[in-house]
Amino acid sequence: MAVSDIAASDIVETVPSALIVLDRNLNITSANRAFYQTFRTSADETEGCLIYNLGNRQWDIPQLRTLLESVIPHRASVEGFEVEHNFPVIGRRTMLVNARKIFRPGDSDGSILLAIEDVSEERAARAESKRNWQLTQSIVDTIRDPLVVLETNMTIVTASKAFLTIFGITEAETRGRRLSELLQHQWDVPALRNLMEKVLPDNKPIESFEIEDDFPGLGRRVFNLNARKISQPGNHAHRMLLVFEDVTDRKQRERDALSLTNEISHRIKNNLQVIVGLIAYEAKWTAAPCVQGYKTMQARIGAIAQLYDLISQSSRGRTVAVDAYLREIAKAMSASLIGNMSGIVIEVKGEPLEIDPDRAVPFGLLVNELTTNAIKHAFPHGTGHILLCVEKFGDEFELVVADDGIGMKGKDSTKPPEKRGSDYVAIFVRQLGGTMIPWKQEPIGTTVRIRLPLLLVPPSGTEQAAA
Amino acid sequence: MAVVLVVEDDVFIREIAEMMIQDWGHETLSASDGDEALLLLRSNQHIDALFTDIYLKHSVLGGCELAHQAIKLRPKLRMLYTTGNLVTDKMRAMFVEGAQFLSKPYTEHQLQQSFTTLLAA
Repeated sequence: MAVSDIAASDIVETVPSALIVLDRNLNITSANRAFYQTFRTSADETEGCLIYNLGNRQWDIPQLRTLLESVIPHRASVEGFEVEHNFPVIGRRTMLVNARKIFRPGDSDGSILLAIEDVSEERAARAESKRNWQLTQSIVDTIRDPLVVLETNMTIVTASKAFLTIFGITEAETRGRRLSELLQHQWDVPALRNLMEKVLPDNKPIESFEIEDDFPGLGRRVFNLNARKISQPGNHAHRMLLVFEDVTDRKQRERDALSLTNEISHRIKNNLQVIVGLIAYEAKWTAAPCVQGYKTMQARIGAIAQLYDLISQSSRGRTVAVDAYLREIAKAMSASLIGNMSGIVIEVKGEPLEIDPDRAVPFGLLVNELTTNAIKHAFPHGTGHILLCVEKFGDEFELVVADDGIGMKGKDSTKPPEKRGSDYVAIFVRQLGGTMIPWKQEPIGTTVRIRLPLLLVPPSGTEQAAA
Repeated sequence: MAVVLVVEDDVFIREIAEMMIQDWGHETLSASDGDEALLLLRSNQHIDALFTDIYLKHSVLGGCELAHQAIKLRPKLRMLYTTGNLVTDKMRAMFVEGAQFLSKPYTEHQLQQSFTTLLAA
């Protein structure tokens, strides 16, 4: 069937818009099914009725009267006339009315075809969107940190009041412009640009990108930039929220603290250097058999100084990570293994335990003493392995220092035992509140086991240990 | 035998270091800060190596700055840095090429090892 074969009445009945036809006196001559369905009325209540008298006279609106009585007689059509009204039965609705003058054969006066479209949901969605935008804008304006919202092409959609105030810039100067173009191009940093370009396509947020620069009216400032993708449910358009956190004061405090730490460290190490120097000077005038004692004393002072550095490198705020600390000790001791001892390898196996900084120095000295003993006595040929290990046992942990050297049986019995070294080990163990596990003959090498109370806290997320 | 310029603001530490270096047969010159050191470096005095503390008086990186000026004046100068502070990667990046580093407190043996390596390079 060709389109021309379809009756006009069939089309009228099929279209989703409500249609009514008015005669020259604005009486309704006919209406389609969509009209009756939309307004939940019938042909009996509608046909022959003056449009203004329909329902509860909801169409008796001055603007519609003007449209029908003044505009239509002089114009062929009117589009997009909006009527918002509380209709009987269906309630409050927004209707979009289009009108067209039509002429039938033999009817010189003509009729008016009114197409009425229910746009309530669309208007409600638009109003909701507007309210959301206003809410978003008010939230944006309330946040004290400056922020901007960027389009996918990196131009600014909106900037918060804080952004405008802090950077002394107007809204007109920001809207539609790229961040890199603002002020004196302080944000025009290639690394930042690269990161920003990945936020939307890769959904990869930017966390604390630091920029330090001079800003007009603000002076030297440090900002941390954080960015993430934002999207509205049901909306495929994505935008980027970029927040500027002023960390200048915090940075200054950190720098002051670091400066103080450096100053204290400088003084402590200089004082230790004076002590080491004094010992060196005394050793110059001391009889040869005593010189080794002075050198050992120097090495122990050096170990204490080094432990302070290692503690600061392994520190996690108020605790020191034992595994990282052991690795640093091993690294430092390995670096000192040169010449005929360069074949000794120090290995670390450590559970992720944490130790409080007050006990870190005696713990480090204990490890240092035991490892030094192994280096000095276990490997007469200068090659072998030393294992440093910490393992948790209930409310205690075990420190193991094991070597695959000659063992206790293989030692040269003509050499005197290292009395002071073992005295120190005993003192450190007592200081830490621990116990030595009795030594037993191992098939290979020597293994020293020491049980220490678990003054240490496992990392967050695991079982809480006793303090 | 080498001539070593020792730059250290603590007199005792400086003199003990000089004493150690002299014991190995080297000659020493001394300065307590960068300005004194630069006077010597700008003179005709023969100098083979500069042994400088990094933290000089109130300048946290005074020794690093001195070393950069020194190497411009004497490109073949050997450089040994020392400090009691932690040496960060940022600080290491400021060291002149081929420089050695020795952390405080150092023993006579450690200082001797550093000089042996430095002067052999």
